[in-house]
Amino acid sequence: MAQRRGLTRRAVLGVLGTAGVTAAAGVTLAPRAAGAQALGRNEPVEAALRRLFGGRAMQDGSALIKLGIPQIAENGASVPVSVEVDAPMTPESYVRHIYLVADKNRIPIVARATLTPDSGQAYVAANIRLGETGDVRAVVEQSDGTLLQVRRAVTVTVGGCGG
Amino acid sequence: MSDLGKVRLRLPSSIKAGDVVRVRCLVIHPMERIERDRAGTIVDKKYRYIDRVTVTYLGKTVASFDTTQSVSENPIFAFTFTATGPGPLAVTFHDTHGATYEGRAEVRLG
Repeated sequence: MAQRRGLTRRAVLGVLGTAGVTAAAGVTLAPRAAGAQALGRNEPVEAALRRLFGGRAMQDGSALIKLGIPQIAENGASVPVSVEVDAPMTPESYVRHIYLVADKNRIPIVARATLTPDSGQAYVAANIRLGETGDVRAVVEQSDGTLLQVRRAVTVTVGGCGG
Repeated sequence: MSDLGKVRLRLPSSIKAGDVVRVRCLVIHPMERIERDRAGTIVDKKYRYIDRVTVTYLGKTVASFDTTQSVSENPIFAFTFTATGPGPLAVTFHDTHGATYEGRAEVRLG
């Protein structure tokens, strides 16, 4: 009896797993996913990282991630940031997400890029706001769930966040 | 504001099959930031900013961004895709007020 119950549970979990994968695929196709609403919140950076990554360990990604950002940003309203990850982009192993995080911003999570093997290379860039002098980090989540992070200190002459 | 939603895409002038192509795109958008009243409390309203950007190439999503108010006004994004054949590249921006803006480019190999 115990064995039969075990098998049933496994079958159920398997079905749930497939449903989960389908749902995840749906999110990339549906342009307005519910998760997007919750990404930016007025919260301290520690809370934001805990919300997004739980307590998962982050490795130092300085060997693989190139975070391009000026050391001194004269205008915090628009600071160019680029992230390039030296990692393969194959269906077996690729960079799934690149998060841009500005520690001192009132809304610390700036953007989350979702990549696919068709991206060809793990590279994204954006112009971001920086409220004040502080660290900017890039957090990379690979398809196997590995988290890597790099951070750079940026001096902001005129803050660009208002609110 | 008449330019609101104008999208510009920039691709390299020559693309060969198999190239990993870098694309820059710009959209004219206010990306409203949080406002506070005199007392310093956050004004509760539906701020208008772009919260989602999707990139499709040959009808398939190759990359997307979820964005917040920490992204600049008139934001610029860059990304890459692998050129496998001629066809359309489209970047669609969605804002919190339900508007969508699209930029398209025809990828030609040569």
